[in-house]
This record gives sequence, C-alpha cells and structure tokens, in this order.
Amino acid sequence: MAQLRQDFNEFVKRQTKIVVVGQEDGGAFAAYWRENELPFTGLPDPKASVLRLYGQEVNLFKLGRMPAQVIIDIAGMVRYVHYGHDMTDIPPNDEILALLDDLIPIPA
Amino acid sequence: MPKVSLNTPAPDFSLEDFHGQSFRLSDYRDKSNVMLVFNRGFI
Repeated sequence: MAQLRQDFNEFVKRQTKIVVVGQEDGGAFAAYWRENELPFTGLPDPKASVLRLYGQEVNLFKLGRMPAQVIIDIAGMVRYVHYGHDMTDIPPNDEILALLDDLIPIPA
Repeated sequence: MPKVSLNTPAPDFSLEDFHGQSFRLSDYRDKSNVMLVFNRGFI
C-alpha cells in the first residue's frame, strides 16, 4: 500500500482511480487509512462479495488472501489482471504505469 | 472460483467506502480508469 501511495500522483496523471478492496470492516479501514495517510478509496467488503466476484484467492496454508490487481479501462473493460501467487507477489508500480501509458480503451 | 478475463467487461459492483459513501464501479465508465487492488490484509 505504501508503494501505491508513493506513486499516487503518477496514477492521477494517467486518469486512474485506485480502489482498495478488503475483507476488513470499516473501522479497520478507517484506522489504517488514518495511520498511513492513504489518498485512495478504501472499500470494506466484510462479506467478501466483491473479492469472490473477482476471484481473489485464499491460501489456507499461507494463512491469508493472495494479493490481486485488476485494471479496468475507461470503457469498463478489464485490461490487466494479476493474481499473486504468494503474499509478496505484487507487480511493481513501474510495470503498471507503463501499461497505463499504453492503454488505448477498447469500446465495451 | 471465477476469475475475470482480459478484454471482457468488468463485473459491476457497488459497496460503501469506509466513510459510508456509495461506490459503484460503473459510475467511472467514460470518466477514468480504475485499478482495483485486492489487499492481503492489513490487520
């Protein structure tokens, strides 16, 4: 999350809204956002409805949810999907920003 | 568990953010790209 905060303005320049979805409740989100001064949108999903809709994996052996990133273009089409294989498998910002630079919307 | 596929319409959803404001993914169509980040937990 700190990685995203660091380059937040680069995402803004590329007209990209960052939305974080997690199973924690609203109180936990609020505390974490306040503590880390995060500038992006946080969506508590305690019923995991969106997490399931987008297929975020849970690894029982590693005791947690695997990180995932999905980029949706301005036309509402999925243009990038990354499902992490372990807790640290998160693509670097440079890779995502380069993809956003090349993104030409596909009409829905 | 279903996973989303490239170059297909993103499944729409709505949730409330932690301020209680409604968020609907499709509201951003024709306005901006959206990057959904599914976190690994921060507690």
